[in-house]
Amino acid sequence: MARKAANASLWRYWPRLLLLIPFALVAWVPFYNRIEPALGGIPFFYWYQLAAILAGAAVVVGVYVLEGRKAFADDKRGRKASGKDRAGRGPGAAR
Amino acid sequence: MTLDVTATIVFVALFLFVTWIGFIAARWRKADLDQLHEWGLGGRRFGTIVTWFLLGGDLYTAYTFIAVPALVFGVGAMGFFAVPYTVMIYPILFLVFPRLWVIARRDGHVTAADYVRARFNSRLLALAVALTGLLATMPYIALQLVGMEVVIGALGFPTHGIVGHIPLIIAFVVLAAFTYTSGLRAPALIAVVKDMLIFVTIFAAIVIIPAKLGGYGAIFDAVPEEKLTLRPPMAGSLGDYSAYITLALGSACALFLYPHAMTGILSASSGHVIRRNAAALSAYSFVLGLIALLGYMAIAAGVDKNPLYALGFERYGANFAVPALFLDMFPSWFAGVAFAAVAIGALVPAAIMSIACANLFTRNIYKEYWRPDCTDAQEAKVAKIVSLVVKVGAVVFVLAIPQSYAIQLQLLGGIWIIQLLPPILLGLFARGLNARALLLGWAIGTAVGTYMAATRGFVSSIYPLELFGLTIPGYAALYSVVVNFAVAIALSPVLDRVWPQRGALDPESNRR
Repeated sequence: MARKAANASLWRYWPRLLLLIPFALVAWVPFYNRIEPALGGIPFFYWYQLAAILAGAAVVVGVYVLEGRKAFADDKRGRKASGKDRAGRGPGAAR
Repeated sequence: MTLDVTATIVFVALFLFVTWIGFIAARWRKADLDQLHEWGLGGRRFGTIVTWFLLGGDLYTAYTFIAVPALVFGVGAMGFFAVPYTVMIYPILFLVFPRLWVIARRDGHVTAADYVRARFNSRLLALAVALTGLLATMPYIALQLVGMEVVIGALGFPTHGIVGHIPLIIAFVVLAAFTYTSGLRAPALIAVVKDMLIFVTIFAAIVIIPAKLGGYGAIFDAVPEEKLTLRPPMAGSLGDYSAYITLALGSACALFLYPHAMTGILSASSGHVIRRNAAALSAYSFVLGLIALLGYMAIAAGVDKNPLYALGFERYGANFAVPALFLDMFPSWFAGVAFAAVAIGALVPAAIMSIACANLFTRNIYKEYWRPDCTDAQEAKVAKIVSLVVKVGAVVFVLAIPQSYAIQLQLLGGIWIIQLLPPILLGLFARGLNARALLLGWAIGTAVGTYMAATRGFVSSIYPLELFGLTIPGYAALYSVVVNFAVAIALSPVLDRVWPQRGALDPESNRR
């Protein structure tokens, strides 16, 4: 039973799967190892990877916001435990 | 080269300014600096913004600003691996380190070795973690000096002979003094100045230099075609492709295991601060990408063919590309600002690294093996003294030993530090790991990684792995940590039978 509840609480971490996106963006080197299409004279290899930094930052912000809503709600409920970091450890730790 | 007086005056003025900041930092958020966590972690009170400056100043070091564009200048596209590397570090920071922060805060851990000691109840494993951290960080501090030496040389100071070393020695005496008195507060405050100078310099560089050279199109046109992209691999090999991405991934996995990165993380005031910074620090990554492009701007400006800079290139090699570019493109006073940015950019990480080494030595060697009953004040005192010793060591290292050794040792440092990934990652997120299996994994991983680097004569960390008739050149650190993981996971159940584990000191840190 405890395990079931723990699995349920793991679901609140689903946005973290999005963090695979930044890895996926840069993982396949042959995809971006090319000069065309250039952007304002900057070869694809360079502007693509610079854009990947911005995309990666956007993903991290997104995950933070998606998780944040739930976490702040938890924070209000259980101030005595040190907030969201403990709340995810399953039953018992949170309450 | 003659001394550039204007640039030197600006440089010295900025240097004096940060020295003053370094000393007044002791009074910032005043607390009892005779406590190790106050001196060495700033009392764990740094909020989002201070942590952003501190980690930014800590991770994007002077050596990075000099060496990354130098690599792009020298070998081209391969040097750009620093960009996918910075793309990958932040998801890792977001996922792994807030959890470590919570445990460290609750149990009063100051170092990664403290955590491993408590989590696995193993003094030996903690010692391995501490020694690895110390060994990997020392050459890194020495490299910060190398970055500083290059810009001091670019100002026109002679940097050979005893007299030539004086500016460097003065800089390090100053650094040592304010680190001793103010602890982590000093680099945290100075990092604010450093980062502003860096941002100003880089934004000026990416606007002014392309304007002078005829736009980005002209800059890339001036770069030889074969440098612009990675060489497509030959049949039977993954060539540059696998080297590029494994370098990025391996470096990303290793970064936050470095003691100085750990110190920056543990000094944050909450897990939220770390998560927010995982997004906000990308601003530095973007700047690093732009800095890498300075290497191509140096090619387009033809600074290596300019007789004015011939002596600099002769002495510092490709590392002189960026300083030469600044001298060529900027008015003297602004070159002074840019060089001050690099030099101060060396002070901040050097201070944090020496504090991190001091924390490791004091907590995990001095207190653990030598004086378990020392008081808090004695503990802080030892840490302060060790931070001095570490810096003297780094100066002696740079002055007495050929520079290529520092670079080779730093390359080995990356291979060694990544071996801490299994104890920390599995410690945080897995159960049923055996401390002795982790220790064996660490030893075998370190040996395999060092062997791989040795086969390349310690000049490259790219090892050509042969697998089913396919050659996969890749970063030795990544290959060796895979071996480390395999040994640790495979041997854990076996060793649990042979020597039953005593279990963690604190069952809480064992639980998910």
